[in-house]
Amino acid sequence: MHRVSSLQTIAIQGRFGADKGAPGVTLSVVHPLAIAMVIARNGKSKALKDALASLKSVNVLWAGPDQYYVQSAAKSEAALYTELKTKLANIASVTDQSHGRITIRISGPKARAVLAKGTPIDLYTDEFPVGKSALTQMAHVGVHITRTGKDEFTLSVFRGFSESFWEWLTSQAAEFGYQVS
Amino acid sequence: MTGFRIANGGLIDRSTNLTFKFDGKSFKGHQGDTLASALIASGVHLMGRSFKYHRPRGVISAGASEPNALVELREGPRKEANTRATMVELYDGLIATSQNRWPSLENDFLAINSLASSIFVAGFYYKTFMWPKTFWEKIYEPLIRKAAGLGTASKEADPDTYEKSYAHCDLLVIGSGPSGLMAARTAARSGARVILADEGSALGGSLLFENEEIDGTNGLSFAQTIIAELASLPNVTLMPRTTIFGWFDGNIFGGLERVNDHVAVPPAFEPRQRYWRIHAKRAVLAAGAEERPLVFGGNDVPGVMLASAMRHYANRYGAAAGKSIAVFTNNNSARRTVGDMKDHGINIAAVIDTRKNGKIINVKGGKGVKSIDLSDGSHFECDAVAMSGGWSPIVNLMCHRGAKPIWNEIIAAFMPPDVGPQFRAIGSASGKMLLSECLNSGIVAGTLKGKTPPTPKCKDEAFAIQPFWWVKESTSKAFIDYQNDATAKDLPLANREGYGHVELAKRYTTTGMATDQGKLGNVNAIAILAEAAGKSISEMGTTTFRPMYTPVSFGAFAGPFTGHHFQPVRKTPLHDWAIEQGAVFVETGLWMRSSWFPKAGEDWLASASREVKATRAGVGLCDVSTLGKIDIQGKDAGAFLDKIYCNTFSTLAIGKARYGLMLREDGVVFDDGTTSRLADDHYLMTTTTANAARVMSHIEFCHQALWPELDVQYVSVTEQWAQMAIAGPKSRATLQKLVDGLTLNDETTPYLAAKDITILGGLTARLFRISFSGEHAYELAVPADHGNMVARAIMQAGQEFEIVPYGVEALSMMRIEKGHVAGGELNGTTTAGDLGLGKMMSTKKDFIGRMMATREGMVDPARQCVVGIRPVDRTMKIRSGGHLLKQSDRPSMANDQGYICSVAWSPMLDMWLGLALLSNGRARHGEVVKVFDGLRGHHYLAEICDPVHFDPENRRLHA
Repeated sequence: MHRVSSLQTIAIQGRFGADKGAPGVTLSVVHPLAIAMVIARNGKSKALKDALASLKSVNVLWAGPDQYYVQSAAKSEAALYTELKTKLANIASVTDQSHGRITIRISGPKARAVLAKGTPIDLYTDEFPVGKSALTQMAHVGVHITRTGKDEFTLSVFRGFSESFWEWLTSQAAEFGYQVS
Repeated sequence: MTGFRIANGGLIDRSTNLTFKFDGKSFKGHQGDTLASALIASGVHLMGRSFKYHRPRGVISAGASEPNALVELREGPRKEANTRATMVELYDGLIATSQNRWPSLENDFLAINSLASSIFVAGFYYKTFMWPKTFWEKIYEPLIRKAAGLGTASKEADPDTYEKSYAHCDLLVIGSGPSGLMAARTAARSGARVILADEGSALGGSLLFENEEIDGTNGLSFAQTIIAELASLPNVTLMPRTTIFGWFDGNIFGGLERVNDHVAVPPAFEPRQRYWRIHAKRAVLAAGAEERPLVFGGNDVPGVMLASAMRHYANRYGAAAGKSIAVFTNNNSARRTVGDMKDHGINIAAVIDTRKNGKIINVKGGKGVKSIDLSDGSHFECDAVAMSGGWSPIVNLMCHRGAKPIWNEIIAAFMPPDVGPQFRAIGSASGKMLLSECLNSGIVAGTLKGKTPPTPKCKDEAFAIQPFWWVKESTSKAFIDYQNDATAKDLPLANREGYGHVELAKRYTTTGMATDQGKLGNVNAIAILAEAAGKSISEMGTTTFRPMYTPVSFGAFAGPFTGHHFQPVRKTPLHDWAIEQGAVFVETGLWMRSSWFPKAGEDWLASASREVKATRAGVGLCDVSTLGKIDIQGKDAGAFLDKIYCNTFSTLAIGKARYGLMLREDGVVFDDGTTSRLADDHYLMTTTTANAARVMSHIEFCHQALWPELDVQYVSVTEQWAQMAIAGPKSRATLQKLVDGLTLNDETTPYLAAKDITILGGLTARLFRISFSGEHAYELAVPADHGNMVARAIMQAGQEFEIVPYGVEALSMMRIEKGHVAGGELNGTTTAGDLGLGKMMSTKKDFIGRMMATREGMVDPARQCVVGIRPVDRTMKIRSGGHLLKQSDRPSMANDQGYICSVAWSPMLDMWLGLALLSNGRARHGEVVKVFDGLRGHHYLAEICDPVHFDPENRRLHA
């Protein structure tokens, strides 16, 4: 069934903010996305890590001690949930979060400068390399942040805050000029 | 020299012509000027009036410490009071207005205060409290209030934006003079991440105006070469126009970047100012030293300024303070002023050195210097006076966490304290008075690894000082603190009157207060106070240094979080559907909840009443997505819930829901909600909207700190599910149309059933047969992205039953009709017993709150417990907050027996009714009590009854 993102009518494609040549950042809503939270059962930290490493066509993101978000753009949320439930039986608790979180990708030469207006985390490459995730707060909203490239990050927030967060993010990106794609 | 503008040199662009206005009069300046330098170059020294005596005042300094030249900058909503003219970069069209004068700067009526100065001595403000008593409220207070304050704030909203940002570095260098540049370059070359911040508009610090020779070139080009190198390095961030204003725990520094204060209006999308929080592994303080004024008669006449400021204006801005100047000093450094002024062709009328040839007794002149009288009886004509009383390292930041600076006799100054290797002072901020020492200390501090590179060669000027604090022979006023009009005589007076401690003297004399916080005057004040008290300067010590180093606007601290951005807005997955249905929203915490759905002409009461009636007659749909939902899994999930809740969940059948009550450790009720068992090792907890986050934290604490051995995992799923209550006698028939392959009846879906189903041809959903309204009702949860679609489908399915959307107002009416407790009763004071839920507390297991819930006071029969309440006069409106008294008691809080916690209009019973907490209430059903509403000033009679006002047999629930 067709999923409707909370930002469907908010994140309008186009070029916004200051016009100083190439946009400082590009923003996009990563939707639809299947997301499951998996949390290791007692004593199963290593078993969970191993099991997660063997999964195919998913992204595994750290989300707290013994906790991970498993994401897939290719699989339906039901397919991902069922697969994890089966493969991680007795290793981890699995909870579908596909609809509970909105994921925004931010990329471009000014991505770090925009994010520095929100997070106290040091996003310098040596301190926060590609693949690293952290839980932080930006503009009073809890954010799960992952570096996905040299100048690329994904930000995931509770669905209910997504509109507010988008307003803040775009206002902070405006001085560099931004593209919504 | 044309007027007071020196023909050549400096860092101004003479090819530009900037027009600006000061007090309505038009002036011209150049790119690179400050407001102060442009006024001086135009021959204007009178820039303000002093706070207490309204004396004419001119600029004293050329930087952040300026106490006198405070102006209102800009007009309208962008007006900013108490702006230092020395820090305002000139731009075309700048408008500034002088402060604290009436009717004009030239003719100030309140200058008469100066004649009455014997009244305004130190402590005068406090003395007004003492006598006569009746004078305070009627005379002193209104007068002082009118006279107090400097500039006036704009009352219009600030149209500009402000930002916040974080930064991280290996080395933060505060100040970009010779020491700071050396530290930054040395660290940067070794690959460290360096931030170089300077409050000035250009980097270079003293090298922007002092004549120095380093590495065979002049100081300015030496600085410019280094700045260019630093700018080219990717690991270096240069931050001019950025004041580091505070040092905080964790080696975190607060900074204020004046991004667009140097233009009239910030460019589109750019903020005016940006507040930085800088996390520095190490930091060096290279803020330099502040020159001190000398204390002598008339040392505040416009045209008297610091010797370094005078050469700063001449060398950097090409602005001459006068045509014939006198120099008054107690140390070597003023020699530079003499040399530089001569080079610019300015006449030196006299050089007075306290170590050699005496003192200036008085400066003559009102709104400008005319002449000086010396201690040897001689007299010189001049139009400006340069003074130098020595140098104080700018130690402020290093003292922000409590350490005190240390007095040093050799340079007669307070030195920065040793606060550890993560923050060191270098250069003249550390008392180094030779350029070579400054350069060297910068290089040493910047060597984070490897060998220390060599120090550049430079020419040093020897420094020597003989402390000199006060020309006691002066007959006119000698000021210590310009901004507060504190004179040298005020300090001995404070000491005589028992306020000799440095912190008391500060409050008594106001020395060191207001916008400049005594940057120029404090050391002189301490020395004079010490002498009066018969102590050494070291014994007297300093007052407390606190952030902010210089004033920071509230806008910068607020950043972008103003107006409706003050806090984030949280919307439910049914928000769009609710808008389509014409919802009026209410803020509940951060959530926007649909409150009622008015039809044309309806107010909230009419709308909510109609919603209740339609729901109880047919079917209604309510968005309950905001209730907290926590997914709880693991082999010990049941055992864990048994500890969290006062009732038992491990025995709950799979596919069933149960109402649960959790207590705090002290036995008071914490939260309630239904929790369902979805599988043997899988529960779904719901919480109240208000406590959702608190319950989650509570669960995390209980698991991590109390019972880590339990195998339980939990995560919030509040946002994953759109949840709607479908209530009313036609709820089953409505839902039946959506459900796939399941006949809804009391066998498949009995009361308190909880099951996974699919709807609308395959959509995942969860169905709960639970009720808050008292009706036959369900809650249906679907994944959030489908929420609006499913709500629309339910509305369509219910059309034949005249389905209505209902909001939290109708929800509240129905729960009060049914006597269900909510926030008004779960108010942090009530026990399970008080709420009529005492039987829920299991006697077969331990749970949080069990021990304390059994204490004497918690089970006292006289405790206030939940009852129903209705006015005896059924046409009367009752309100919550009214206190319950015995019918015969006098209306007074002395007779208090309880209070009304929730009220509602009951559309079903056609009257106002409520829930109340009443002492021993359960035994008092039927009693008539007096309701005393002291707030609204009335009292009336009401009847106590069972809390369940409507359908007490619960027939509708099971219908």
